[in-house]
This record gives sequence, C-alpha cells and structure tokens, in this order.
Amino acid sequence: MTTTLWDTNGTDIVKALSLERRAAGAIASGLALTLVVVVDERHVEKAQSAATTAAAAHPCRLLVVVRRSLTANDRLDAEVQVGGHLGANEAVVMRMYGRLTLHAESVVLPLLAPDAPVVTWWYGPAPERLAYDALAVLASRRVTDCAAVDDPRAELRRRAKDYAPGDTDLAWTRATSWRSLLASAFDDNEARATSAQVSAEAGSASASLVAGWLTARLGVRSRVVTSDGPGITAVDVRFDDSSRIRIDRPDGHTATLSRTGRPDRPLPLKRRDLGDLIAEELRRLDADQPYAEALAAVTGGKNLNERSAKRTHIWREPPGTEAGSTKTATGAAKTTRATTKKATKKPAKKAASAKASR
Amino acid sequence: MSQPQEGLRGNPLRDVRDRRLPRVPDPCALVVFGVTGDLARKKLIPAVYDLGNRGLLPPGFALLGFARRDWGHGEFESLAREAAEKGSRTGFRDDVWQRIADSIKFVPGSFDDDAAFDNLSQTLIDLEATHGIRGNAAFYLSIPPAMFPTVLKQMQRTGMADNAERGGWRRVVVEKPFGYDLKSSRELNELVDNVFTPQDVFRIDHYLGKETVQNLLALRFANTLYEPLWNGNYVDSVQITMAEDVGIGSRAAFYDKAGAARDVLQNHVLQLVALTAMEEPVSFDAESIRTEKTKVLGAISVPKDLEHYAIRGQYDQGWLGGVRVPSYLDEKDVPAGSTTETYAAVRLGVETRRWAGVPFYLRTGKRLPRRVTEIAVIFKKAPHLPFSQTDTEELGHNQLVVRVQPDEGITMRFGSKVPGSSMEVRDVSMDFLYGESFTESSPEAYERLLLDVLLGDATLFPRNEEVEHSWRVIDPLEEFWAGRKPHLYRSGEWGPAAAAEMLARDGRVWRRP
Ligand SMILES: NC(=O)c1ccc[n+]([C@@H]2O[C@H](COP(=O)([O-])OP(=O)(O)OC[C@H]3O[C@@H](n4cnc5c(N)ncnc54)[C@H](OP(=O)(O)O)[C@@H]3O)[C@@H](O)[C@H]2O)c1
Repeated sequence: MTTTLWDTNGTDIVKALSLERRAAGAIASGLALTLVVVVDERHVEKAQSAATTAAAAHPCRLLVVVRRSLTANDRLDAEVQVGGHLGANEAVVMRMYGRLTLHAESVVLPLLAPDAPVVTWWYGPAPERLAYDALAVLASRRVTDCAAVDDPRAELRRRAKDYAPGDTDLAWTRATSWRSLLASAFDDNEARATSAQVSAEAGSASASLVAGWLTARLGVRSRVVTSDGPGITAVDVRFDDSSRIRIDRPDGHTATLSRTGRPDRPLPLKRRDLGDLIAEELRRLDADQPYAEALAAVTGGKNLNERSAKRTHIWREPPGTEAGSTKTATGAAKTTRATTKKATKKPAKKAASAKASR
Repeated sequence: MSQPQEGLRGNPLRDVRDRRLPRVPDPCALVVFGVTGDLARKKLIPAVYDLGNRGLLPPGFALLGFARRDWGHGEFESLAREAAEKGSRTGFRDDVWQRIADSIKFVPGSFDDDAAFDNLSQTLIDLEATHGIRGNAAFYLSIPPAMFPTVLKQMQRTGMADNAERGGWRRVVVEKPFGYDLKSSRELNELVDNVFTPQDVFRIDHYLGKETVQNLLALRFANTLYEPLWNGNYVDSVQITMAEDVGIGSRAAFYDKAGAARDVLQNHVLQLVALTAMEEPVSFDAESIRTEKTKVLGAISVPKDLEHYAIRGQYDQGWLGGVRVPSYLDEKDVPAGSTTETYAAVRLGVETRRWAGVPFYLRTGKRLPRRVTEIAVIFKKAPHLPFSQTDTEELGHNQLVVRVQPDEGITMRFGSKVPGSSMEVRDVSMDFLYGESFTESSPEAYERLLLDVLLGDATLFPRNEEVEHSWRVIDPLEEFWAGRKPHLYRSGEWGPAAAAEMLARDGRVWRRP
C-alpha cells in the first residue's frame, strides 16, 4: 500500500508509483486530474485528508510537495501510496531539502498524470507572484488562500495584481454558501438594489469578496463593517422601494433571512470544512470570471478577465540564502514578500485553525 | 459605479458563468399524498432532508403531508424526523432538521373528504403569508393508482391544480405503474393531463435519476470514439439485463396482478433501450431528448414468433446465496395456481436505419443469482482474422458494457495477446470505475428527480407518448401469454432454459453479468 523511499530521485518515485499501481490491481480508474499541494510539514496531514475527501468526488493523483530547509543538504524523500483509504486515488508525498526546494517541478513533472489537467494548491501563504513558483506555471488552475496570511486584505490586492485566468482563492470558495443564499433571496424580488453592507470579523477576505461580488452584480456601493464574527455574520441589501433583504448568521451555522413584508426564515448556513472547499474547487477547471469580477471590484483592479492565462516562470533567489538564516519548519522562504518574516508562524496557525468556511 | 447586471430570470445575482451557485428552485410547497406510505418514508422524506442539507431548497419551502390519520403536527413531525434520520444519505443534523421541521405541516383527511381538501387548498394559500410562498406547489401522488381519480378530481374541484388561478406553477408527480395496459394508461394520462397541463406532469422512472444512466448520454454524445460504431454495421446485438436476487417480498397483492413485464420491462428496461438506441438530440433540453426517445420507442418491433422469442418464467424453490428460498406459488398471499411471470425475456427490433437487423434482447427477473442491471453492446467479429484458427479460439465478440448497478461504470471486452512466445489471442476486460466513492456520494435518484420537479426540468421524466409506445410493445406480449403457463426456473439460476434456447436459436448466448 505504501512505499517509503529515502534519499531518492524522481525516476525511482515514478517506478515505485507504477509498481504500487500494479500491486493495487492496475484497474483503469478514471483519474480526472493531478492535484499538486504545496504545504509545510506541520500541515501535511490536514492537507492530505482534505485532498482525499475532495478526491472522493474527483478521482485524482495527489502530489504533496513539502519544502523543508533550504540550507540543508540537497535531498528528496518520498512516500508513495495507492488505493487503501485513498479509494481509487494515488498519492505521493515528497519532502525536499536544500536547493532542490527551488526546483520542485523537476520531481513533479514526470509524475503528472498523462494529459490530465493540473491543479496547484498552496495550503499556506502563496508566493507574492505565483510565477515565482514553477509549480504554478505547470498548473491550469491555481488555488490560493488569502485567509492564510496575516493581512488578508493586502493579500487580496496582491492576488488581483497578479491575477491570471485560472486563479482562484479559498476565501471565494468559502463565500459560495452565502452567495447561494443571497441569490435565492433575490429570486422573487423585483426592486432595484441601492446599497449593500457585509458584516464580518476583522480582516475577512471572504467578506470583501462578497461585497465585491455584490458591487459587480448589482452596480451599487457595498461596505464591509467589522463584527465579532465568526466569519461573515450578516449581509444587508437595501432597495429603491425602501425594502430590504437581510441575512444574519451570528453563530456560524444557522442564518435568519429577513425580507420586508415577509416572515423571517431560519436557514442552515454552515461553515464548510476544507475537504468540501477543495471538492468545489476541483469541480470546474476553467477560469472563474465571477471571481475575477468580484476581486476587481474589491481591489479596484482592471480587466482581470482579459489578461493572458499563460504564466512564465520567473526565477527568484530567495532572500534567506545570502543571509544563510531561517532554518524554520516552514522551510525555504519562497518569496521576497515583506510579510513572510513574521508570517512564518502565525499564518500557518491560522490556516490550521481551519479558517474554513464562511 | 456600474449598472446592475441582467442576470438569469431577471435576478442580477444569477450569472450563467457562475457555476459555483447551485440551481435552487423558486419558493414552493411540496404536497405529499400518502405520506404515511412506504415510498414517502423510505425515499421522499429523506430526499427532502438531503436536499435541505445540501442547501438546495429555496428559503421559502414547505412540506405538506396529507393522510388519513387523526394526527396533530407533532405526530407527523416525529414520523418525518424518524424517516429522515433513517434514510438520509448526507448524515442527520439537528439544525438542518429544525429548519425543515419549521416548514412541515400535516393536513389530515381521507381522499373523499371535501372539507379536508378545502383545508389543504386554504393551507396552500396561507403559505404566502406564513412562508412567503406565492402559489408554487408540486403534488406528489404517493398513493395506490386506484386512488388517482379521486384525488385528481378533488384538486380540480378546489382549483388547486390551476396555474393561472393560483398565480404560480402547479406540478404533479406520478409513480409507476402508469396504467395496466395501453387503454388504462391512456385513460390515466388523459385524466392527469386534463387536471394539470401535460408539461406539468412528471412521471417518475427512478432509473433515469441514476448517474450511470445519464452518463450513457455523455458517453454516446460527448465522444467521437463510440458513435461511429453505434449502429448495425458494427453492432451484432444488444443485451439489456435487469436482474434481482430478491423475491416478491410482501408485494404479492400488487405483483400478482402485474408481473415482471408490466412491473419492470414496460418502464425501466424500455427506457434503457430508448437511451441506448436513440438518435442524437439536437440539444440537451427536455423536449429534444424526449422527442428522440419517443421516436425510437415508436420504432420498436415485436417478434412475430412470440412462442420462441417472448419467454416468460416463474421462480420455483431453490437455493440462493446459500439460503433456501420458496417458490413463487409458496410466497405469502400468492393465489394458488397463479400464472404470473417473475421473469421475462424478449427479442425486440428497432426499425430504423441505424438499428435494422440488430436484435435487442431484454430480460428481467426475480430470484436470479445476483442483483445487476447492465446494458451490453455486442460488436460483430472482425470480418477477417489474419491469425490461425487455433490462435483465436478464445476470442469472442468485442463488448461494451454499461454497468448501471451495482459497481457503476463501464467495461470493455476485447482481444489481447496472451503473454508468451506464441501468438495467442484471448478476451480481456477493462473496467472503468468512475471512482467507487464517486457513486457513493452522488445523489440518490429520488433526490435528483425531486429537485428537477421543483426546478421544472423535465429532461429525466418520460412523457405520455413514451408511456403509450411502451405499452404498445408490452400489450401483444401480455395477450400472447394470457392463458399460458410460464416456464419454471429454479431460484438462484439465470432464468428458464427456454430463454437460453431463444438466444441459441440465433447462434448467440446470454452474457453472464
Ligand atoms: N414503495 C416503492 O418503493 C415504490 C416504488 C415504485 C412505485 N411506487 C408507487 O408509489 C406509490 C406509493 O407506494 P407505497 O409503496 O408508498 O404504497 P403504500 O405503502 O401502500 O402507501 C400508500 C399510501 O396511500 C395511502 N392510502 C391508500 N389508500 C388510501 C385511501 N383510500 N385514502 C387515503 N389514503 C390512502 C396510505 O395511507 P394509510 O397509511 O392510511 O393506508 C399510504 O400513505 C404507488 O403508486 C406505488 O405504485 C412505490
């Protein structure tokens, strides 16, 4: 079921994977895609379990890339797993040390399922420009998570600046259930919206994206105000006939929908777990235009949907290398981003406490 | 600031490109007649719960249960809760249930009680004030078909079925059996289509709610690989099997009057024939698909030699999966000397350019060795084999098998060289499982179909012409069988010997599924 390879190389991993597949019965399983997960050591298990849940609906080959210390000696360790609790799926976890962390794609490329689309997901903070990571360049869909860094709003701006069709963010995925409820509330509503307001805990990227979406779709100004959370707690839309639609969710799972002239309705609106979010991401692999429009509206970015979908790898020597410092568990600093230094511990913790689901 | 966007159905928040947002029905009520019955408890209530849990019910939603019980709201709620707890697929959660519990109501009464229907009608009107539901309602007739006329007449009397009068949509859902023969199904269709309008009638064939069945359309029409071969030039024959390992259980009263052909062949199996044999619809909307299905069902021909090509059987006692089981005649409540069939096999033709000369062998039965439903397309042998006779002795026909249940997926059988120094070719199978777990997490057929009813999407529901064409196929068989005795087959075997002889006569054999 599992083969562990110490101090190995790409060719041996490919061999081990093919042996494991044969041992598992070599059934033609409908592998629909390859999912590359970039994650640090502490979160491997969480990321893998979320990816496995998602893979239940979208059979895939899972390639987990763990970049360890950049200053260590170059080395590659790998675990290859087929079947078992993975169902019809296959997983390879790769731990990379030293300068190899800067060339992860050399191990990943030969392991991609032939001709199937590739999705790359950064579990923690993503590089400032995705093109700094070659694992972004080989993917047709790239999943980041604004909630995994210290200043999600600044991160949204970075994502907008760097946006290319095929990018998406889990903060947007977490907003789907809110958006879905809002859309239903609008189904039998004829009045024209005049303003919108989203209340959420401080720094909620999902709240900003919901506000951006409302602005883009309704053509109205929308504000985000701070509440005690958890996550988004209310959305309030006013109309030109002085009616309003309001959804309140103070407790993180049950919402109340109030509409002028109608009885209040309680509705389940639960925060979803990471596996669900990733499953939603894997359902569609084409560009997400409504996300780009919401992101543009909230950051003032322009023409996101018209940008080229193609990224070219930009080589960037990590800053830690000259200084010869940072031998932390998060390992190789990947970017020059200012927040990275203080982000080494905190963002990871944030991601762990499953900022999941709004 | 920009202008508000157009949006779907006049809703600026609905965007065709926004495929994350699920399709959610308009605010509406679902009225279930016969809510105490088996179907309502095992399938409908759990399906409503699962839809709610997946966030697919609209904010304004009400479930009204109608039954002849002297019940208050509390008793109905606990029945519904128990049903949801037992049958839900997505895991039972209290807060989700609370939300549904808030919107369920019980309306007591028998079907001939005018006051009860007036009450139901008023309750529906009141929903606008209490639940914000403006006139949209779906009526699910989960009752014995004999009660249909009574209930439909009550709906007509109270104006409950009238779209215009109620200012919203009104739909009705009916379950099989859709009649007993062509004549009775016509009467039923006329009745239902009159009280409602034909496009508001949803006939449930739960096979069409299954993922694999829908996948058959994707397989055929989204690929170039199969379509060129999907005709009489390359196809030798088609075998469709729907086998059950169970007996009739406690359904004798219904089953003994119907039999396998009416119970299963008329609806599920002929729908599978239609999906296998239909031409490509011009688009994937309900009307185009139903039009193609209707055409092909209308082109089905029944064999002239019914003696040899329409075989029916009845199970005898035997052993099945290590358990001794009684004969049909010994089952509870089966009348002595009953000649009802529990097995039917027939050879049909499809008289179109695509299928002329290709036999469609259909079989269905109870107490067969295992539960399996599959469609096997069997291809002709290669016209010339450049190998010596002995090398290809084990080479059969290429096959493409759509496994409808269980183990949903596709199997291909083709010849491959036996490893070694000599050139020997034998058949191998390649199994495609679209992820075992995928099928587990995919919605139960009733969930899908119920959602489609509330959305008004009729793609997966046969329309009345399809039902009538199907009876045109079944009626001559039933006429021929009337007064004759079915062949006996031992429980736990693949049907009577006569069915095997039917294929042997054509130089073929049944596939062992
Ligand atoms: N069960 C299945 O899996 C299944 C599968 C395919 C099709 N169907 C079809 O679905 C429908 C319902 O099936 P079912 O198995 O649920 O039947 P069932 O268990 O016999 O239930 C029938 C329901 O109708 C009510 N009813 C019967 N006669 C009545 C009368 N004179 N006045 C008022 N209520 C009456 C019953 O109420 P009481 O409890 O008061 O008797 C019960 O709630 C039938 O058309 C059947 O052919 C069922």
